[in-house]
Amino acid sequence: MKNLARRVVFSLATFIALAVVSFVGVDALPGDGCTALLGRFGTDAKIDACRKENNLNDSVVVRLKDWSGDLVRGDLGYSIKRDEQVSEIIIPRLRNTAVMAAVAALIAFPSAIVVGLLLGRYPRKLISKAVNQFSVIAMTLPEFVIATVLWLVLSIWIPIFPGVSVMPSNASLLQLLPNVWLPALTLAVVIFAHSMRTMRASVTNVQNMPFVESARLRGTNERKMIKRHIVPAALPPVVNVVALDGAWLLTGTFVTEAAFNFQGLGRLAIDAISDRDTALILPIILFGLAVYLVSSILADSLVRVFDPRLRSSNR
Amino acid sequence: MIRTMIKLQKILVTFLAVVLIAGGLASCGRTSSASGVLRVGNDAGFGGAETMDPYDGNRTWPTINMVFDRLIGVDKDFSPIPELALSWSSNDDLTEWTLELREGVKFHDGSEFDADDVVYSIERMIDPEFDSPILAVLGVISSVTAVSKYEVLLSLSTGEADFPLLLADYRALMTPVDSQATIGKTPIGTGPFKMQIFDPAGTTVLLANEDYFFGQPKLERIEVITFADSQSAAQALAGDQVDLLLAIDGKSSAMFGDEAKFTLQNIPSGDWNAIDFRVDQEPYGDARVRKALRIAADRQVIADTVLGVGGGVVACDTPVWSADPYRWDGDCAKDTEGAKALLAEAGYPNGIDIDIYTSDVEVHMVELVTAYKDQVKDAGIRVTIKMADASGFWDDVWMKESAFVDSWGQRPATQVLNEVYRSTASWNPTGQVDKDLDKMLDEARSTKDQTERAKKYAQIQERLFENSAIFLPYHKTLTRAMGSKVKGVEPIVIDAVRWEKISVS
Repeated sequence: MKNLARRVVFSLATFIALAVVSFVGVDALPGDGCTALLGRFGTDAKIDACRKENNLNDSVVVRLKDWSGDLVRGDLGYSIKRDEQVSEIIIPRLRNTAVMAAVAALIAFPSAIVVGLLLGRYPRKLISKAVNQFSVIAMTLPEFVIATVLWLVLSIWIPIFPGVSVMPSNASLLQLLPNVWLPALTLAVVIFAHSMRTMRASVTNVQNMPFVESARLRGTNERKMIKRHIVPAALPPVVNVVALDGAWLLTGTFVTEAAFNFQGLGRLAIDAISDRDTALILPIILFGLAVYLVSSILADSLVRVFDPRLRSSNR
Repeated sequence: MIRTMIKLQKILVTFLAVVLIAGGLASCGRTSSASGVLRVGNDAGFGGAETMDPYDGNRTWPTINMVFDRLIGVDKDFSPIPELALSWSSNDDLTEWTLELREGVKFHDGSEFDADDVVYSIERMIDPEFDSPILAVLGVISSVTAVSKYEVLLSLSTGEADFPLLLADYRALMTPVDSQATIGKTPIGTGPFKMQIFDPAGTTVLLANEDYFFGQPKLERIEVITFADSQSAAQALAGDQVDLLLAIDGKSSAMFGDEAKFTLQNIPSGDWNAIDFRVDQEPYGDARVRKALRIAADRQVIADTVLGVGGGVVACDTPVWSADPYRWDGDCAKDTEGAKALLAEAGYPNGIDIDIYTSDVEVHMVELVTAYKDQVKDAGIRVTIKMADASGFWDDVWMKESAFVDSWGQRPATQVLNEVYRSTASWNPTGQVDKDLDKMLDEARSTKDQTERAKKYAQIQERLFENSAIFLPYHKTLTRAMGSKVKGVEPIVIDAVRWEKISVS
């Protein structure tokens, strides 16, 4: 427990430090919200007036203070370019990405664990080796290739899913759902390969360990052995991979969202960066930070649940 | 073990079922094409900052042209034709223009269109405080007055023979009196389509204006669907999720080779790229060096390399595009020896080393310098390509470094020449001061006779080829793609396309 508390405090400190670094870093890039708004033909006078109006002429320290103060009060800020509160822009996009990530996770993780277990039990069988090799290819393929292949097969040749998402920006969950499948499947292919391989390797490793051997000699039946001995011992490394991949599902979807015109956080991040909409870039960066910090704490705590050795050593 | 397998199998089957059900759901949600509905794919443009105010820098194109009308439109051959103005005439020195308006035209809210709306609209366009991008086009207007309910008088600060063509700019649209505050989100126009839902990040819906003065539109509805990038838009057309893409990437056109399903149109446009040399920085002050830099390259090869074969029309440093009635076509073939001789004469017998700045802020900009570098090396011109950050390009590089890549959209001859080449123009990117050229420009725009004027514009363009500091190798050809069931989209520049004549069978 004490250990967990220490982790949380440490993560919080990391978050604050990185938030400050991000703010200063984004600030140091050329251009700002006003040059982004006024564009190529913005005159100096207009840009100056815009900067005054939005307090962009203050020193970086003053602006950092204002910004973090607002953030603590729950105010994510205001986008000059989009003329809208940042929270109103981000929340619907976050929902879309979260739904897509959840679908991808539900498709990929359970099947990866099941397939990884099956293949790991028989590591020498041809099929086991073949699937393992094939998943290396799936892992190394860029997402836009997977996206294009899936689009071609599941939208053009066999028209099951809409090829790209076409929906109003305030789409209801029902309008969103049909558009989720192709991007979610694309992400699922990537993370399935990842976690399946980890599971397979882990199971292969665990089933040759002395405690499994001893259980077998005691006459434990296969089913019980898998449930009681192999799976719990094989899961910890997989949990870590799942946590990392889960975080990636929420923060690494740029390419997939662009490929399918999906209106999520990834596409918004691309737009915000190309628009130099700093007010919008920062909260997205912070969200990514938070996701990774939380998921790594979560993964470590879960590993403790599965692995009794870690529990005892920390008592 | 077997029971485990069965259990695992059950889990897998459940997931398959979920996927299949989802597929069922998906096909329900699929938008199917209906006759009378045109789905137009559009790029994201201004990332959520879009407005329907046609005078705002973030105007939503082409949607504004479905909702509003101009006073004067353009025909296929780029001659002015009546839209909301029925006729126009000027005084002898071309400084005062009288426009007779169409009577009985109604805005979408039922109110009548008259001279007050014209005065209001034009005053907003030329308001220096608001500083609309269209001020660069219509800045010649010094005042506008309503003579009667259906007649307006426009006074210009200088004689301009092609003033009707300037009024045909796609943004010079008529909006109702006192609409500034509301027009951005709830636009009221006189155009062929009425705004139903304005959703620039998603799907904008427009309904036919049955009382349209050019006749009832053939479509019931237009949906303008926004795409984050051109690839996903092309996929949407291939998968029958949209019907029309106004411009596709040349590389995507192979996706639409099936003539039974798709129609492709190649449309020469007035969009151009260039390499600009600052005459206030050495060695570009010397006209011989400038000319050497411009004649050392094969423009056709550059156009083919940068835009793809057939992707552009070669220009001899003239910004006036191929369909413009004032276009001049000279001989600007690659002349390596001539370039070498000019360089030697200017004091560079061993060739010259230059830096050219570029950036991926827009497509084709990096490819242009790369192709140029390869073309001019024979003449002893050694180019070092300097990559600048996209976000700072227009602020810190363009018009500031000694040589840089440029990009401009289509404009009529008088506008582009006065906006880019006139010594005093605010966006004259090379800083070149050529008083003779300015005089020629004044004379051309104040010549009333069309044939005489065309001669003068040709002389101006010839002078640019001799003297200018802008290497302008091509105008781009746009590729438009649509489903074959879309009818009535003529293969002409979008400014001249009549939305009410389009149908979907």
